[in-house]
Amino acid sequence: MSLPREVVAPPEPVLGAGRVLASAAVRGGAFVFVSGLTAVDPATGEAIRGTTASETQRILENLELILEAAGSSLERVVKVNVLVHSMLEAPNMNEIYARFFPEPPPARTVCGARLPDGVKVMIECTALSDGDR
Amino acid sequence: MAIDRLPRSVIEPVNPVLNASRRANLPHVPGIRIGDYLFLSGMGPIDPLTGERRHGPIADQVRTTLGNMKHMLESAGSSLERVVRVHVVLADIADIAEMDRVYREFFPVDPPARTAWAMQLRFGNGCEIECVALAGASQ
Repeated sequence: MSLPREVVAPPEPVLGAGRVLASAAVRGGAFVFVSGLTAVDPATGEAIRGTTASETQRILENLELILEAAGSSLERVVKVNVLVHSMLEAPNMNEIYARFFPEPPPARTVCGARLPDGVKVMIECTALSDGDR
Repeated sequence: MAIDRLPRSVIEPVNPVLNASRRANLPHVPGIRIGDYLFLSGMGPIDPLTGERRHGPIADQVRTTLGNMKHMLESAGSSLERVVRVHVVLADIADIAEMDRVYREFFPVDPPARTAWAMQLRFGNGCEIECVALAGASQ
């Protein structure tokens, strides 16, 4: 029997208004795959452009909402990919990032990349779902 | 079942022309199946008839690449409907709207989780796309 594939639809518009190209997250078996998130106001879906630090803060708050909707949590994240618009900004991202994940934090890769729409940070992750406790 | 005991096998396309890594003597396979998960390598715009890279307009490159991804998944008994995560890498971030336009044709409902960005790509490719999918058919 094949694994069920389940789209996770958080109540908040965490991917931004009108974004229909990706699901916020998809659960498949033991894993939850979360889309690359940019800073969005979860009440309105409006994009928020700020500093690398403030965008990181907003993204990780929204990530927590998505993981909750998926029956997972920040504690159950296994791998994170962080894309920053400039590697010179990595320490600014890191300072906020370190406040979110309990010890021991998940595996992580950070790289500098060209991001759309003037975005400064984009964060995606893979987590364990509650089906794997 | 422990993860290290899950069966691991190589995914290969039915169309041998699309086994781009083997043809280019690169040190990776097109994909690996581990248990019920399929992990595909990053794929570029390879012409499925000739094996040559197709470096036309970005819309054509994305369409070719996703068509090849569909073939790769179906070769392994899966499908685009079973994809859970996609990475789209562009050479030029200005191409993102055009990429999106074609992308949505391939994932019209309940699309996978996706991350898209731009960075340097090899071989002059305008896009490279990889995915994780679930094995087998939808329930």
